[in-house]
Amino acid sequence: MTTVKICSGTLCYVMGGSELWTLPEALPAELKDRVTVKGSPCLGYCNNEKPVKAPYVEVNGKVIREASVSKIIEVIKDEIGGK
Amino acid sequence: MVLSDGLGSGIKANVLASLTASMAVNYTLLKEPIDRIAHTIMKTLPVDSERKISYATFTIVDIESDGETNVVEYDNPSFVLIRNGKVITPEKESITLEENSIRKKVMYRSHFIAQKEDRMILFSDGVTQSGMGTLQMPFGWGDEAVQKYIIKELKSKPNKSATALAKKIVQQSQKNDIYLSKDDTTCAVVYFREPRRLLICTGPPFHEQKDKHLASIVKSFPGKKIICGGTTAQILSREFGKEIEVGFDVGKSGLPPTSSMEGVDLITEGILTIGKVAQLLDEHTTGEVEGDGPAIEIVKMLLQNDIIDFVVGTKINIAHQDPNLPVELEIRRNVVKRIVRLLEEKFLKEVRLQFI
Repeated sequence: MTTVKICSGTLCYVMGGSELWTLPEALPAELKDRVTVKGSPCLGYCNNEKPVKAPYVEVNGKVIREASVSKIIEVIKDEIGGK
Repeated sequence: MVLSDGLGSGIKANVLASLTASMAVNYTLLKEPIDRIAHTIMKTLPVDSERKISYATFTIVDIESDGETNVVEYDNPSFVLIRNGKVITPEKESITLEENSIRKKVMYRSHFIAQKEDRMILFSDGVTQSGMGTLQMPFGWGDEAVQKYIIKELKSKPNKSATALAKKIVQQSQKNDIYLSKDDTTCAVVYFREPRRLLICTGPPFHEQKDKHLASIVKSFPGKKIICGGTTAQILSREFGKEIEVGFDVGKSGLPPTSSMEGVDLITEGILTIGKVAQLLDEHTTGEVEGDGPAIEIVKMLLQNDIIDFVVGTKINIAHQDPNLPVELEIRRNVVKRIVRLLEEKFLKEVRLQFI
């Protein structure tokens, strides 16, 4: 199972993260049963990276910077394909 | 508290009832003696030229914070005082005003010391006379039956709120008239209870050494607890050794989802959510708050509680200081101060604010 963690921190949310919460609906049918999507408390990248590249998402612990729904789906596909 | 019923129904009745109520409230706030207030109102109220009766009735209740309660009643059904499931009738002293009128005017004055868990119920004659002319109650609901109904309601739900009880009585009156009331129907309830307390923590403490202090405030607080802010929640999660579960329901509110953790009642995002709370409180007029979403949940809890404690961490989130970010990322302290002012002035809450 692939786990996606979406940062629910304020900064990620205002930097485009708000649309990431539609990910479960946007997942292609063949991926739906193979992915768990969770919300996460602030993942902490915003205070440790310069320049800030919010919104941040983690897929199986790997960070995606400036995440978008399509970017996340690509990474999920890579993860599942690579296994 | 004042309950006034204007003669008849419609604009004239409404104007006279409003006039009576606002005179009574304002004089009482000025600490005028209660019978002097009643006299002044009686002199002001016009008298119906045919029936020689005043155009409005009133019940004035003045409650001190130690429970001392003074009541003056004129022409309304008698107020009901419930203590330990029974009706208590304080002694009433009658005051007769003759004032050149053919009909005598009699007011009743009473005094009692309210005790915890007492309930005081006031209603207009629309309640006692509801159902008049129907087969079940040809002479109307009547004082006694209303009292029995109140006692039964409180027996089945001893913690029933004042609002819920008042609503229930008015609804039952409408039901008595087969949902077509014949008269204006008003009910007011006072529930003498322990104040309900709510704690809102938002923002990390300025010095990390204070994190433990914040945790102990939250842990020992006697009431409901809300945390607004991801970092604040994470500090408490670490201090308590409890996991935060982030919800996934973003709904239509446009705000980040709420989270949950054992030991607190609600966790929301910080600045966007409290900004929205300030806006909702500012726009709120009367009645219950409808809808859902994190900010509305907070507003509902604020309105349900009496004493509200804010603990505001003053650490600045450096990542929020980027000038390219939306202006909604205001300084937390300013937003909280706005909320405090609204709660105190508009919603008459007791608010305590501390910065850490």
